Amino acid sequence: MLLVIGGGYVLYLDRLVTEQFRSLRWTLPARVYASPLQLYAGDPLTEAQLEHELHRLSYRHVAQLRGPGTYTAGAGQIAVVLRPAQFADRSRPAMLLRIGFGPAGVEQLTNAAGAQVPVARLDPLLIGSLFPSDGVDRIVVTPKQVPPLLPAALKAVEDRTFDTNWGIDPRGIVRAAWVDLRAGHIEEGGSTLTQELVRSYFLNDQRTFWRKIREAIMSVVLTEHFSKADIMNAYINEIFLGQDGNRSVHGFGLASEFYFGEPLDELDLPQIAMLVAIVRGPTYYDPRRVPKRVLARRNLVLKILARQGVVSRARAEAAMHAPLGVTTHASGAYYPAYLDLVRRTLSRDYPQKELTEAGLRIYTSLDPRVQEIAEQALDAQLHRLDPTHHYGAEHLQGAVVVTSPQTGDVLAIVGGRDADFDGFNRALDARRSIGSLVKPFVYLTALEGGQYTAASIIEDEPISVRLGPGRYWRPHNYSRIFHGPVPLVRALGDSLNAASVRLGMRVGLGPVTQTLQRFGLKHLPDEVPAMLLGASDLSPFEVAQLYNGIADGGFREPLRAVQAVVSADGKPLKAFPVRVTPIAPPADVYEDTTMMEQVLTHGTGQPSQAILPPGLVAAGKTGTSQRDRDSWFAGFTGSDLAVVWVGYDHNQPTGLPGALGALPVWSHIMASIGTLPLSMPPPQGLTDVWIDFMTGLQTTPACDPANAVQVAVPVGTQIAPMAGCGLLGGGE
Amino acid sequence: MRARGSRPARLSAAALCTALAVSGCALVGPPYTARHPQPAANGRSGVISQPAPGGAPPSPSALSSASPQSVPGSANGAPPAVHYQLGPATQALVATARAQEQSGNYGFAAETLERALSIEPRNPLVWLALGRESLAAGNAAQADGMARKALYLASGDPATQAASWGLIAAALRAEGRNQEALAAEQRAAQLQVQ
Repeated sequence: MLLVIGGGYVLYLDRLVTEQFRSLRWTLPARVYASPLQLYAGDPLTEAQLEHELHRLSYRHVAQLRGPGTYTAGAGQIAVVLRPAQFADRSRPAMLLRIGFGPAGVEQLTNAAGAQVPVARLDPLLIGSLFPSDGVDRIVVTPKQVPPLLPAALKAVEDRTFDTNWGIDPRGIVRAAWVDLRAGHIEEGGSTLTQELVRSYFLNDQRTFWRKIREAIMSVVLTEHFSKADIMNAYINEIFLGQDGNRSVHGFGLASEFYFGEPLDELDLPQIAMLVAIVRGPTYYDPRRVPKRVLARRNLVLKILARQGVVSRARAEAAMHAPLGVTTHASGAYYPAYLDLVRRTLSRDYPQKELTEAGLRIYTSLDPRVQEIAEQALDAQLHRLDPTHHYGAEHLQGAVVVTSPQTGDVLAIVGGRDADFDGFNRALDARRSIGSLVKPFVYLTALEGGQYTAASIIEDEPISVRLGPGRYWRPHNYSRIFHGPVPLVRALGDSLNAASVRLGMRVGLGPVTQTLQRFGLKHLPDEVPAMLLGASDLSPFEVAQLYNGIADGGFREPLRAVQAVVSADGKPLKAFPVRVTPIAPPADVYEDTTMMEQVLTHGTGQPSQAILPPGLVAAGKTGTSQRDRDSWFAGFTGSDLAVVWVGYDHNQPTGLPGALGALPVWSHIMASIGTLPLSMPPPQGLTDVWIDFMTGLQTTPACDPANAVQVAVPVGTQIAPMAGCGLLGGGE
Repeated sequence: MRARGSRPARLSAAALCTALAVSGCALVGPPYTARHPQPAANGRSGVISQPAPGGAPPSPSALSSASPQSVPGSANGAPPAVHYQLGPATQALVATARAQEQSGNYGFAAETLERALSIEPRNPLVWLALGRESLAAGNAAQADGMARKALYLASGDPATQAASWGLIAAALRAEGRNQEALAAEQRAAQLQVQ
């Protein structure tokens, strides 16, 4: 009777194991990639910068090229064997590329045959994965991608009789028990690799007697029906190898990336030995937490490999001197704030299950160079402010968004000063009062109306706006003093509230609101006079969308983090192409921009000049909310836009206007990312003129070196000349 | 109270560069390394074939003498016309995109052109190529937007401006807006005469 039941149970398990294992398929989290670096002749990239990028991708500097993932450098040339890579549009096999450098950057690219290559891409950097709520993350490898040393080492250390046993190894169990008894603690487990696989894939982690029996039967069944090679490959992909917050690292393919930032097939002996060493207990043997413990066990593994004849004694000895070589960062790159945006973008189009289980490949606009610089700039500047600016125990926080205005690509997102912390994403979720950041849209509306130019005069005098019966609003300037008649360029440049409110009331709240709407504002402000001084609460990301339209000359590109989604087998599923919508006359936006340039040279943004490299023409606007609760700067160059917010999470006053909190962060970012100066000829119908920043009179730099500013105005604009500058009649 | 010193001089260099509207603008030569090739990003491809600015740069007053309707390059003393070209890398990518488009792979073609865009984001010819691809893929509204952007970036280059108006016209026709298309065609023709 027992025999029948037992036999039935075995048959049941037989079927279960066979069916499940035959259709063995792991759920694969979506992998997210940064924008790959393009190389081409004429690229202003230096040799050192390229090496930095290769290191980021864990390429190895070697004396002689060995295989994919290695490079040589010297004598103005870098030769690299690029790894096979899958891009959004195609896959590329491994290839040799020689990059010749000259004084201006990359001079030529040639392939193995010596033929010119017009443009080539480095591998896209893996920046994370969208894993399911159980946290299981994995990269599946085929037997071809596994270095032969790995299974050999696994067998030598974990399961010596693997090739011949029946899935269980009674002698192994006895031996392990004996070893453990003598050692006084568990040194050998006694389980075969097959049992480990069964335990991980089919069973839960309870250590009961019945589970042991079940595990043994299933292991035997598995061995009976499947080849040892299949079982080994399944083991290599299945097994748990590390924990990173709520993400658990499964399989040697991901473990290799997680610990070394390199694909599995490029690992050398000491690296393989380390992975084999931690199989026993990845939490106990965490190489980032307890490197000494792991090093000792790795060297024990190397000793066993030499003893078993898997590698020569000399090789093992040499490997024992190698450092662990684990990257400081999990997976080399970790950008939670950016991944957050990716997740939100895709959750509109993809059900959660498909994102976390279907092995999608997601290609983003992230530029790791820009991201790294933005993180460092925010961190450094906030640290600088810490001693003088803190609210009790609370420290300043900040957020950064960097875009490429021409395409709307989001190059970098920093969600807080601890960029590695996957928590509150201030870049997307901190909606704060934008203060004077709204002013360029007020002035643009005025220019579009045709009644004003950058040189028009507006009165910066006390103003009283009637809000209702007996209710008046009397805005003050930040400095608490008024300046009388000033040109528009100064009213914007010095961020004069009284002048700006007067201008805004003249052009009308409705038109200003419509301008904001055209530039992409979703939550429109109430049409009350206070909106002219930025009483709206926006996130840095929303501000970036608004300013992107100015930076792009009056065209709106929806900001995009995701460029393409590709299926696990390389089929394009969805593209997010560049979209262009004309939203304002380019000439008016150009004129507005010339005023915003003066913010940086003569207005509230002047402190930037001590940080920006000479010649870097940029435009932008400071923003400061009531009682200095929020410190903003939004600005752009010819090729990049950055928005920076600095403040306290709990909204206390910071004592920092935009120019002192956010502007230094912005300036350091722009000074370091290799951005290009603003330089466009004026569009048709506009002309450049020099006017005096204080009075708006036409002048020349020679006559008025301190205050001459160049703005664009419509052709034919009459501007009164400054006396004594030889400008009578407006001509030269 | 305002910062004194080099800024006006630097500005005048930038202004000169702007007025010159020629390649390189090496005057402003930033002492740091840019991520994009310098010529492309100021919209002036390093391979602008024409013209070697032999004489003095046009003065701002010369620029302002041109009426809004007049075409740059046409008026006396107006800035010499420039002629955009693609750099070798973008040229290769545009050629690849054309091949992809011809085999019906509009999605891939667009992605390839966006690679070109990331190298020369301000070159109107890349935007024109992208606009033509959009039109071929049946997206006239996008073609129109991209052509208008090319037009804006092509300031000073009548040939590229004409091509931009030509694409605007084609996009408008595709949307059945024949009157507007006709007007756009006329603007293209006017520019081609220059």
